[in-house]
Amino acid sequence: MKKTERVERYSVMARVFHWVHVTAFITLVVTGIFLYVPWIGAVAQDSWTRVIHRIGAVLFMGMPILFFLVRPRSAIETIKEGLTWGKEDFGWVAAAPRYYFLGDEAAMPPQGRVNSGQKLWFLLLMLTGPVFVITGILMWFFQDTLPSAVFQWSVFAHDVSFIATVCFFFVHIYLSVLHPLMSGVFSSMTNGKVTKEFAQAHYAKWYEEKAKEEKPSGGK
Amino acid sequence: MTNHWNDIANSDCVFIIGGNPAENHPAAFGHITKAKERGGKLIVVDPRFSRSAAKADVYAPMRSGTDVAFIGGMIKYVIDDMLANPQNYNMVYLKEYTNASYLVNPAFKGPADLDGLFSGYDASKRSYDKSTWSYQVDDKGIPKKDMTLSDPNCVFQLLKKQYARYTADKVSETCGTPKDKFLEVCRAFADTGAPGKAGTILYAMGTTQHTNGSQVCSSYCVLQLLLANIGVCGGGVNAARGESNVQGATDHALLFHLLPGYLERPLNTDETLQKYLDRSTPKWTDPKSANWVQNLPKYLVSMLKAWYGDAATKDNEFGYQYLPKGSDNYSFISLFHAMYDGIIKGLMVWGMNPAVGGPNANMTRKALEKLDWLVSVDLWHTETGNFWKRPRVNPADIKTEVFALPAAASFEKEGSVTNSSRWAQWRYKGADAPGVAKPDLDIINDLMIRIKKLYDADAAAPNRDAITRLTWDYGTHADPHKVAREINGYDLATGKLMVSFAALKSDGTTSCGNWLFSGSYTEAGNMMARRDLDDSPFNVGLYSKWAWSWPVNRRIVYNRASVDPNGNPWDSEHPVIKWDAAGAKWLGDIADGGYPPMAADAGKYPFIMTAEGVARLFTAALPNGPLLAKGMADGTFPEHYEPWESPVKNPLSGTQNDPCIKLWAGEMDFKGDSDKYPIVCTTYRIVEHWQAGQMTRNLPWSVELMPEMFIELSEELAAEKGIANEDMVVVETARGKVTAKALVTKRFKPFRMNGKVIHEIGMPWHWGYIGLSTGDSANVLTPNIGDANTMIPEYKAFLCNVRKA
Amino acid sequence: MAEKAILFDPTKCTACRGCQVACKQWNELEAVPTVNLGSYENPPDLSPNTYIKMRFKELEYDKSLEWLFTRRSCMHCTNAACVEVCPTGALSHHPLGFIDYNEDLCSGCGYCSQFCPFQVPRMSGSSITGIRKASKCLFCADRVTNNLIPACVKTCPPHALQFGDQDQMLLLGRQRVKELKAKYPDAYLYGEDELGGLHVMYVLPHKPTVHGLPADPRLPASTTVWQGILQPAGYVLAGLTVLGLGLNYLVARANVKSHGKG
Repeated sequence: MKKTERVERYSVMARVFHWVHVTAFITLVVTGIFLYVPWIGAVAQDSWTRVIHRIGAVLFMGMPILFFLVRPRSAIETIKEGLTWGKEDFGWVAAAPRYYFLGDEAAMPPQGRVNSGQKLWFLLLMLTGPVFVITGILMWFFQDTLPSAVFQWSVFAHDVSFIATVCFFFVHIYLSVLHPLMSGVFSSMTNGKVTKEFAQAHYAKWYEEKAKEEKPSGGK
Repeated sequence: MTNHWNDIANSDCVFIIGGNPAENHPAAFGHITKAKERGGKLIVVDPRFSRSAAKADVYAPMRSGTDVAFIGGMIKYVIDDMLANPQNYNMVYLKEYTNASYLVNPAFKGPADLDGLFSGYDASKRSYDKSTWSYQVDDKGIPKKDMTLSDPNCVFQLLKKQYARYTADKVSETCGTPKDKFLEVCRAFADTGAPGKAGTILYAMGTTQHTNGSQVCSSYCVLQLLLANIGVCGGGVNAARGESNVQGATDHALLFHLLPGYLERPLNTDETLQKYLDRSTPKWTDPKSANWVQNLPKYLVSMLKAWYGDAATKDNEFGYQYLPKGSDNYSFISLFHAMYDGIIKGLMVWGMNPAVGGPNANMTRKALEKLDWLVSVDLWHTETGNFWKRPRVNPADIKTEVFALPAAASFEKEGSVTNSSRWAQWRYKGADAPGVAKPDLDIINDLMIRIKKLYDADAAAPNRDAITRLTWDYGTHADPHKVAREINGYDLATGKLMVSFAALKSDGTTSCGNWLFSGSYTEAGNMMARRDLDDSPFNVGLYSKWAWSWPVNRRIVYNRASVDPNGNPWDSEHPVIKWDAAGAKWLGDIADGGYPPMAADAGKYPFIMTAEGVARLFTAALPNGPLLAKGMADGTFPEHYEPWESPVKNPLSGTQNDPCIKLWAGEMDFKGDSDKYPIVCTTYRIVEHWQAGQMTRNLPWSVELMPEMFIELSEELAAEKGIANEDMVVVETARGKVTAKALVTKRFKPFRMNGKVIHEIGMPWHWGYIGLSTGDSANVLTPNIGDANTMIPEYKAFLCNVRKA
Repeated sequence: MAEKAILFDPTKCTACRGCQVACKQWNELEAVPTVNLGSYENPPDLSPNTYIKMRFKELEYDKSLEWLFTRRSCMHCTNAACVEVCPTGALSHHPLGFIDYNEDLCSGCGYCSQFCPFQVPRMSGSSITGIRKASKCLFCADRVTNNLIPACVKTCPPHALQFGDQDQMLLLGRQRVKELKAKYPDAYLYGEDELGGLHVMYVLPHKPTVHGLPADPRLPASTTVWQGILQPAGYVLAGLTVLGLGLNYLVARANVKSHGKG
């Protein structure tokens, strides 16, 4: 068996941040879900979920901020990347159903470092993250000082974000772990690498650019 | 109370004056609510819009200390209306059951003639020669009457003349009450004069704590008699007693001037039993008068037998000589003056806190410093027991030795409590007292056993026999049942318990600790412990099988006035008693004396406790009988006098103050004048705290409700003085000053009297310097001046000034 | 069993505040340290240690003065926002009609306190750590389920508080309002219709706002939108997402295989 060639997709730093953020997110979801699903609500008695939720919230807020501080350029680039939508992206949206259901790769334009689906996920988090944080802070620190309507609508907005994020989160996990076409992607967040084939198939544009960059350096 | 708490529910009109049951008798308000539910009206007259006033159908403000002017105006209103519309009143009651028709000594002159005085006044003695305060009698000694009530010397005409000056305008000018409000009160209450209607007067310390407090009470009686409201269901003159058992305390003579059962005390001049009895026993020749008090010898001798047992014999006047005799006044103010002057050296303060509750508290506290010893028996550490470490004194300078004896609370001991309804109700012990606290009975028992031992050992002890021969056989731990049985009394021949005082004898064959309570604990058992809710036969709330009511379980006293001379109830819907002609007996409540109705040959007049047999609109001075039969100190009719400290000249006469009050001239007796102190001040209690405060100022829940001493004043006065709500203010009188929080309220309004604006402020008197919640005591401000008859201090009206602190 | 209710008649209330103390005694609640606040009212507000508070208001009109006493405590609504929003089931409708509260289940979220149209439930503990519990009038559940009447009603000397079957209290309340109409044209039985019927009804002589009560209390709109629309929508969305992903898995697996990938 020939040794597969692997390319690096995520640095150690990125992966650590990702997993810490994931942990925070799952912690928040798990400790928050008790407020959503009445028949498991009783588990939340005596406020232990609320203490953990607060710790999760600090991590959840803290990781992006920390990332910004440690890798400002990279952070800005990531945001730029998410906001930059080209022909390939709209092509991705058009091709996605056939691609993900039927495995029809023909119509799928080559994707950059992240594909448009990932961009959408990122954009959603860019939207819901601040909602979570702002409404969370209002409810956490200002419930006794602000009118109760503020709290009431904060709960509502927190909930909207929760529903949207969790649904998308399911998709994210599914595509990262379970989808037959995507097997192989999970390693990008564990050891940071994917196979050359996988990279070529899924991030063709990025792979080509990366290959170009690497050749000269590789030739040295 | 002539009636009882539950009976208030039967009233067509509840008139609260000088009281505030919503705050001071909260449980009573349930009965008032019931009366209102049944269509009854509630009138409240009070200087301040109180929590009782908040429930009133008619509220009228009245400047503190002008009660007689107010009631006098009502009396005038009723008399005028009665003459114009006699059909609206019970004229039979007035003519037959009161002394309205009695002819008075023509030499008698009243305030209308003598500018506020009655005939016989001696200014140098500040007292009256009452010889003209008498009836015209026939050759048998029976008073002459004019049943047409038209003789100018008959009581009714004298009454009319007395109150002719008390016009609605004059009342308004004196009391500061808006005229329309005053007339509204008059109309509402006069409606109860119709036969079958009943109005009740409910009062408390706002009535009595004035220099003419006794006369204020008298004025209620006159008004109620004119309206035929005495003796009937839903009527009466009803004192809401200020403590749960203060009725019991006075019944059993925790008073200096009486023996148990309101028997006259022996005076210095009563050298023998016979002399005492001759002086104190009322004599009356009218055969229709029961003159019940003529039984006094039976009660006194039976009491002596209870006290001295076998040591009381006919030969030694049944131990009469063991009784202390005295003619001096030993009421509160006198006692504290005596302490201040170093005459009294030791003091036992028992369930009382005079350092907070007494008038002129600065002097009271100073007087305590002059004692050699002081014993404070209480549930808590009180201001009195701790006077030596009060603010601004150096404990090292005070030599008084102070003892604190912890006492058990009411729930920690067994015994009877007598409420305002005169019901003696037996209570059981619910819990052990904490620590070394003991029931009062055990404390006094222990004390007396030791005292007896000391006297036994000392042959030269003064009046030794009075102590050594005293029956004191209650054991080491006194049994309250044994005491209750002794109070009830025994037939000494058979050893059986007495059934009622009717069988008591003056020959030494019966014993009875207190004739009024005879029948409370019989061979059939402890009547006070009964809890039967049967209300037969009339279902008017008598509950005759619940506990036991003195006298002889009678629930409404003077109840023979509730029926016409033939024994038929005036109010057939709410009968108290009813004559059953066939059975020749009374149905319902225990009738006042078992006699048949007045119209029958053997019948008697209805008011068996007065010598006359009828009720007194005019308080004559009778030649014999207990002190009260000899007339009031200060007049035959209530007459308005201003409080000792007043912002105005008496608008009704040239006599400013009650002419018979004792004036004190100690070095700490200060009187303020209206130039320096133009504002009227009054003191009161609030529902959240209790009396001098120790029982509530130590309870976190009560303190939470009312955490601080405060002063209430009107928005107008606050604006004048630049005081905002919650500011700290200083209230000052000639005697002292109090700093407290201002509560600016719409519930105090300035009085407008003849164009002059008079402000009044008020404050609770619960606070002191010991306890969980502390604050200045209102009684630092109050004067040492007392009622002309009883010497109760004038806590309710004095002069002050107020400023921002 | 018939639903129970408390009927409060402020025209009979003398503001002795025996109810406040009886409540603290029965529920073993501590006194709140406080000062005189320039009125007879105290403690300052409802709190974890205060389930009932009487409000005092001096009302002057037409030259006459009234001193209004109004009870402030849980109204035990039929349409109760607190029960709607309580995520753990700590608050629930008791078969006897009142809002039952199981403190053990409380997670401390505070939704009840924030959504109550009467601002009744109060939180004890810290909102910073999040460790806290809600508190409010319990309708003396331990008493009423044992055939005793609530402590506040038991102690009320002028019978301004009455307790009984809800329909009985309704009749009494309507009767009382009818009597009051002559003197108070605005007399109104508060709680007959409000929020589907309150289990603490007030016989009001004046308009509710005069007594400091909301004229038309409703579930906050946020409650309805949140609990009635968003939450169910959330379930549906999440369900559809999972369903869609499952479907995708089945379809994609078959297709990717048949493609003969590789």
